[in-house]
Amino acid sequence: MRFAFPRLRLNPLTRKKLLRFRQIRRGYVSFLILCGLIGLSAIAEVLVNHRALVVRYEGRWYFPTYGAIHPGRDFGLPYEYEVNYRDLKTQFAGTNNWVLLPPVPFSPVENCYRNETFKPRPPDWSKRHFLGTDQINRDILARLLYGFRNALIFAGCFIVLTYLIGITLGCLMGYFGGWFDLFVQRLIEIWSNVPFLFVVIIVASVVPAGVGMSLGILLAIVVLFSWTGMTYYMRSATYREKARDYVHAAQVLGAPTHRIIFNHILPNTLSTIVTFVPFTVAGAISSLTALDFLGFGLPPPTPSWGELLRQGTSNLNAPWIVASSFSALVVVLVLVTFIGEAVREAFDPKKFTTYQ
Amino acid sequence: MGAACALLLLAGCGPKAPGDQPAAAGAKTATLPDMEADLARTLTEQPGFYQQRPLSDLPAGLPWQDGSDLPEFADPAARKGGTFRYYIQDFPRTLRTIGPDATGGIRPYLLDYVSVYILHDHPNVAGRMIPGLAREWAVDDAARTVYYRLDPDARWSDGQPVTTDDIVFTFYLMRSPHLGEPWYNNFYSTRYERLTVYDRYTFALTAPQRRPGLDEQISQFAPYPRHAFKDFGPGWLERYQWRTLPTTGAYTLLDRDVDKGRSVTFTRLTDWWARDKRFFRGRFNPDKFRLDVIRDPDKAAEAFARGDLDMFPLSLPKFWYETISSEHPAVKSGMIVRTKFFNRIPRPDWGLWINSHKPGLDQKDVRLGIHYATNFDLVCAQFFRGDAVRLETRSDGYPFRVHPTLTYRRFDPERAREHFAKAGFTTQGADGALTNAAGARLSFTLTMGRPDLRDLLPILKQEALKAGLELRLEVLDSTTGWKKVQEKNHDITLVALARSVEPFPRYWEIYHGSNAYEDAYLDAAGKPVNKASEGTPNPKPGKVRVQTNNMTMTFVPELDRLIEAYDQAETMEEIKRIAVQIEEIIYDQASWVNGWALPFYRVGYARHVRWPQGFNVAKSRTADEFFLSWIDEDARRETEEARRSGKTFPAQELTFDPFAR
Repeated sequence: MRFAFPRLRLNPLTRKKLLRFRQIRRGYVSFLILCGLIGLSAIAEVLVNHRALVVRYEGRWYFPTYGAIHPGRDFGLPYEYEVNYRDLKTQFAGTNNWVLLPPVPFSPVENCYRNETFKPRPPDWSKRHFLGTDQINRDILARLLYGFRNALIFAGCFIVLTYLIGITLGCLMGYFGGWFDLFVQRLIEIWSNVPFLFVVIIVASVVPAGVGMSLGILLAIVVLFSWTGMTYYMRSATYREKARDYVHAAQVLGAPTHRIIFNHILPNTLSTIVTFVPFTVAGAISSLTALDFLGFGLPPPTPSWGELLRQGTSNLNAPWIVASSFSALVVVLVLVTFIGEAVREAFDPKKFTTYQ
Repeated sequence: MGAACALLLLAGCGPKAPGDQPAAAGAKTATLPDMEADLARTLTEQPGFYQQRPLSDLPAGLPWQDGSDLPEFADPAARKGGTFRYYIQDFPRTLRTIGPDATGGIRPYLLDYVSVYILHDHPNVAGRMIPGLAREWAVDDAARTVYYRLDPDARWSDGQPVTTDDIVFTFYLMRSPHLGEPWYNNFYSTRYERLTVYDRYTFALTAPQRRPGLDEQISQFAPYPRHAFKDFGPGWLERYQWRTLPTTGAYTLLDRDVDKGRSVTFTRLTDWWARDKRFFRGRFNPDKFRLDVIRDPDKAAEAFARGDLDMFPLSLPKFWYETISSEHPAVKSGMIVRTKFFNRIPRPDWGLWINSHKPGLDQKDVRLGIHYATNFDLVCAQFFRGDAVRLETRSDGYPFRVHPTLTYRRFDPERAREHFAKAGFTTQGADGALTNAAGARLSFTLTMGRPDLRDLLPILKQEALKAGLELRLEVLDSTTGWKKVQEKNHDITLVALARSVEPFPRYWEIYHGSNAYEDAYLDAAGKPVNKASEGTPNPKPGKVRVQTNNMTMTFVPELDRLIEAYDQAETMEEIKRIAVQIEEIIYDQASWVNGWALPFYRVGYARHVRWPQGFNVAKSRTADEFFLSWIDEDARRETEEARRSGKTFPAQELTFDPFAR
């Protein structure tokens, strides 16, 4: 075998850990709920969307959920821009044509009442605004769901990138030690003293015209200042593992450095990493929310929780805005924290590993 | 080895050797600049600008006037006393009134609203002046000169008299390279040709060209106290950062009343020199004027409703219709009075400024399409709830209607698409944005430096897509946003220029080609010149001129010739005639989409705050600008009692519209 892929067949130890995780009820239930939420946000277009699920018009079927827009003239309306399916539904009433709308028929970026004043409206189940609207008549539930998805994408990419940099550098520091370790440590110390918020403000001002503050740039900045934390843990874990016999054995057998680090040492430090993942997710979501709240986050009209929170705090006479965004944030962070606790307990090496 | 390396890296961070600091500080005090010496040198170096003449040279038979035929606007019944409590959003970053950071929210209370200018324009009578520091003045149009006699009673708050020494110093200060304010340097160098001093109280200012309303144009500035600027010079910005200076106004700031980060309290001078002068009596009434720092307007609104502030601006629809609505208990119980006042001032030119230098936007059909694709009608009706009206022209709100018939282009997606099609954008993409044959999307970035108006942008974006135009939104903080548009790096920006209350609009800054390109005009030798009359238009200008207000990058030689003629015009009739032509070309260029204006301001105030008969003056931009209100102490006690006992008063909602058009 020339390459050792991470084994798909779980070893008994891992299986034991997973079993233990399932036994911790609070964490496991939180995990199931969060998976459910993630599943919902993945198919958000089907549940919450201004586009119809199915349109039956003049004997033809249309499925507008995904893909290109349908201009009004596709359905016999005198305009070129995207058809308003809610209006279409009322127009088709009493004819052979029909429209099937999603449960929440609003997009997160659309002004739902074109001919009425812009102001926050309380929840109204009859109009299917289950959580009300924000100050420019956008549906809050839609903004929450799509904002959640953005936060998840952000957190996912954030984890991959910070861990890639942090783990690699941390392992190298621990494995090589000596002047390399010292030098990189000093670099990290200097780097972590750069004030994060100022850099965000500066970058926001120099990002070239037309690009704007997109998810990618925001991610790059946050990652740039967040990878350092992981290096310390990986460095010490690698230091510890490096002294073990199996590492010496691999060295004697002539295994190259990268193979020793990534195939032998890394799998043995996995419990450290796994324990940190949920907390990193929580950190990523809250930092994106904080940046959006301060106005340095995603450009409008991107749905985001931070932006909703900001609207909520400046419209305290519309408590449904702040209530829904705040509750959503608390629920998700609590779920993630419960999972984190359970993972930490399940993967605690003191329970299963015996030191020789 | 590793430890040694670490030590090396950490070395440079330790404290400096003792003794460094005092030596440096000593050197600093030794080199404090000597303003008087520099001023004397400047006077000898610029004899053309600063002139000293004997009083006998003052022309005889000048038409002296003193504004005594004009009506007063304050209420003679106003009572002095009490504390007026208001708020500012940010603690000032400096107490200077010029230089970097000096244009913050406190400057009006340090300078603009309270200082006495040489002359003021009458806030209710267009084109007429009232005395300030000058007791009387005479305009000599032929000589482009205004003569002034300072009021011998005029005093700085430290008791020193205001004399022509201060006037000379003010011009020296404003034109000084040490000031750190190129805008002031330029303004005081180009708007004035000569300062002539006749004696301690008599002086004259000469403008470089004849203009209608000369006295209105050149007399409205506040002098600075010469005796308080002895160490003005290099490094003055730091030294004067927190210095409280003598003022000519009714309110002075004492060091002990600056509570850093929390509040600033102004104290009324009880023996103020102008206290009983016409146009000043009945104004500046509260003994104390206290500004609390409340960063969030929503919190300030709550504080106001609770009775911690005496006034709160309600112009924003949110505050008028929701936060402090007519249904609010404090309004219903008569504790708070809501007032709407129609004023008469040049309107800020809110609108989309299209950078016609950018590829795509240099096509007139694209710009016309953007006009029809921008739904400010909806913004006015729905976002501003019908309070705002769309601007008819670039120059609304001046004493005369600048163009008799021009108006804005209404939102019309069909017409927008026609124009976009003419520019080659014919195919509708999967997301609804148009593309041209080359595959380029009809997509531009809309930049805005006003985070408080950010909710307005998604509305424009959604409506623009109906015409196949994609707007990418970019909300920046105000400094960054302004920098970006001043460097002409924007595609489209939503911005407005604040306008002074003037008799006719300015066009040169905003529309002259030399403010778009450094090489807009070339002379015979091929060197860039700044005037159409001095050179020929450059067919391919390339050097963008940054830091100017030509943010549409308009360069039309015909327009520039008109603007130059407009700036040379000597009579009001001529100015009006050329303005019509200028506005027509601007309309035709279509690089500015007419935005909105509020024809009034609204304010809420505690019931014990009293105002003159008609509430305020035509030229007021905010309720407190002219300091016409006063505190009725009996009513205040009554209010406080009522708060405890739960007694209510009749609700009051007032509208004053004598100045509405």
